[in-house]
Amino acid sequence: MILHTLNASPSSAAFTDCVSIMAKGDALVLMGDGVYAALAGTKASKTLQQTDASLYIMTADALAAGVTNLAAAVSRIDMEGLVTLTETFPRQQAWY
Amino acid sequence: MIYSLLVLSSPFSGHSSRRAAQFAHCVTARGHTIHRVFFLDAGTLASAANSVSAQDEESPVTGWAELADQHGIELAICITSALKHGMLDQVEADRHERASPTIDAAFTVSGLGQLVDAYASSDRLITFGG
Repeated sequence: MILHTLNASPSSAAFTDCVSIMAKGDALVLMGDGVYAALAGTKASKTLQQTDASLYIMTADALAAGVTNLAAAVSRIDMEGLVTLTETFPRQQAWY
Repeated sequence: MIYSLLVLSSPFSGHSSRRAAQFAHCVTARGHTIHRVFFLDAGTLASAANSVSAQDEESPVTGWAELADQHGIELAICITSALKHGMLDQVEADRHERASPTIDAAFTVSGLGQLVDAYASSDRLITFGG
């Protein structure tokens, strides 16, 4: 079980590499430029939803980027939510 | 639970360094301990004592220094990265014949071994990059 944090746009190699190793039981938190991958109807959000990982987005970052139309599988979390995820997942992989 | 943080990003580019500080506040608020925050690469710029922020911006140095002061968190900056970025404590300023130190007193110049120690001594190592 790995907690992935993605702070890079969907066009980046970081996004591609992250998606390629995400597995069932993993979680992904979108932050910074990573939030654009949550936009409903985009290729990136469809790609994310095809993984078996749980998907989260930092609410403040999404609002700052104007990303309000989220794909259905993506849950909004605040900083406490991120800390809670790190309590659950023993390992984090930061993609940026 | 014991946490350590690795901060790789400059506080003057993007929001990762600020996000890391907010994360640190939240971790302590939830009752956890932070063993060490290790600053590497451009992350070492968080220690810039002579940085001046706009009036409506919080200084990144102040934010981290308050964390260290309130919770006794060690703020360690990688010496190799620090020197490249012009971040010197008194010892390094003397050694390299510079007029004065440039890092805030809340930070300590350290080595990569302290990052390894942080990883070994903590339940969680959370990285902030980008």
